[in-house]
Amino acid sequence: MIAIVALVLGIALGAVLEFSVPLALQPYLPIAVVAALDALFGGCRAYLDGIFDDKQFVISFVFNVLVAALIVFLGDQLGVGGQLSTGVVVVLGVRIFGNVAAIRRHFFRA
Amino acid sequence: MSSEPTRRRGATGPFGGDLLTQLFQHPLDPGYAEAARRRARSGASEPGVARRALSLVVVTLIGFLGAVAYRQTLAEAPAAAQAREELIEDIQRAEQRVDALAEEAERLRGEVNDLRDRVLAAEGESDEVERLRILEAATGLVRVEGPGLIVTLTDAETPRDPVTGEPLEENLGRVLDRDLQEIVNALWAAGAEAIAVNGQRLSAVSTIRTAGEAILVDFRPVSNPYEVQAIGGPQLETRFLTSGTAERFRAYHDQFGMGFQARTVDELSLPAASDPVLRHARPVISQSSSAAPPTGSATPHPSVSGGSR
Repeated sequence: MIAIVALVLGIALGAVLEFSVPLALQPYLPIAVVAALDALFGGCRAYLDGIFDDKQFVISFVFNVLVAALIVFLGDQLGVGGQLSTGVVVVLGVRIFGNVAAIRRHFFRA
Repeated sequence: MSSEPTRRRGATGPFGGDLLTQLFQHPLDPGYAEAARRRARSGASEPGVARRALSLVVVTLIGFLGAVAYRQTLAEAPAAAQAREELIEDIQRAEQRVDALAEEAERLRGEVNDLRDRVLAAEGESDEVERLRILEAATGLVRVEGPGLIVTLTDAETPRDPVTGEPLEENLGRVLDRDLQEIVNALWAAGAEAIAVNGQRLSAVSTIRTAGEAILVDFRPVSNPYEVQAIGGPQLETRFLTSGTAERFRAYHDQFGMGFQARTVDELSLPAASDPVLRHARPVISQSSSAAPPTGSATPHPSVSGGSR
């Protein structure tokens, strides 16, 4: 419950604060969001499974975002930034779908 | 939901075997299960407040990140279109300013000329007044009127595929800057005394050139249909129409469908040309106050714009 409040608070903060992303970090933003969503849905599912762990959640978030950024950075340096970004989105997208499906089964038993 | 044993790290590990299959079967980070097992083993119950708070901070951060990314995307998408629109607005505003200033300049020039004419007339130099007026008209510094010829050039229709509407081939009947240059030169050669392209008066230093898709006359864009207005005597039309250039454009008309028409008009009025900008040339001012014979001409560029273009 508190987690949902925190999420809404974060969204409100992001919407209200005129926070502009530095230009150098802008290419990483979309990938970072996908990585963060993966961590979020993973944590959500783990919570519903009754095996939620704070340390695991925090670390998975931090590392997901860092690794995603690193892959995009490497891809940019190698000239395959677009393809690597696609790869990251596919892998994380599959995980998000899987976790959301599990969450759905939790709620609807279907 | 996958059952507990399949999630345990086996000999192949969670990502052994077919990576994608594993990914589909175990979307959840195996760390959660491991942490749960560890907790069950050690019998630890609730995690500390600090850890819980850290989780909440991360959740807040995720929300924040999402909102910022959303706003960023929103702000970025129309940015290009917006910049383009603003640039177009800037250009239009600047063009209006140029028009207003040109009008103002013409008015002021008229005032100056009137005053000068009056002074010169008072000094009994009416010949000089006449000479100055003719020079000004010839150099494009003042509005002129008289009988003349209007030559109209129009782009040919682009041949299109009747089914897809795609342009079939390069349109050879499109009017180019070179075409306008040739028409203008032919008109000068035929004895035109003043020429304007789409209302843009040409002076001795005017340019007609292409920039991208548009034709610029003295840096102002002109567009299809192109009307070249020339003031000249009654023989202007015949001399122009019998020239080699007119012959060629008739051929362009027959071959490529480029529109080419010439008609005489009794009364044409051409505006003043934009002021020539002098960067290096300085007028030589004659010492004697009574303007001396031709040597003291204050106009730096070729006096009569004859066929000099």
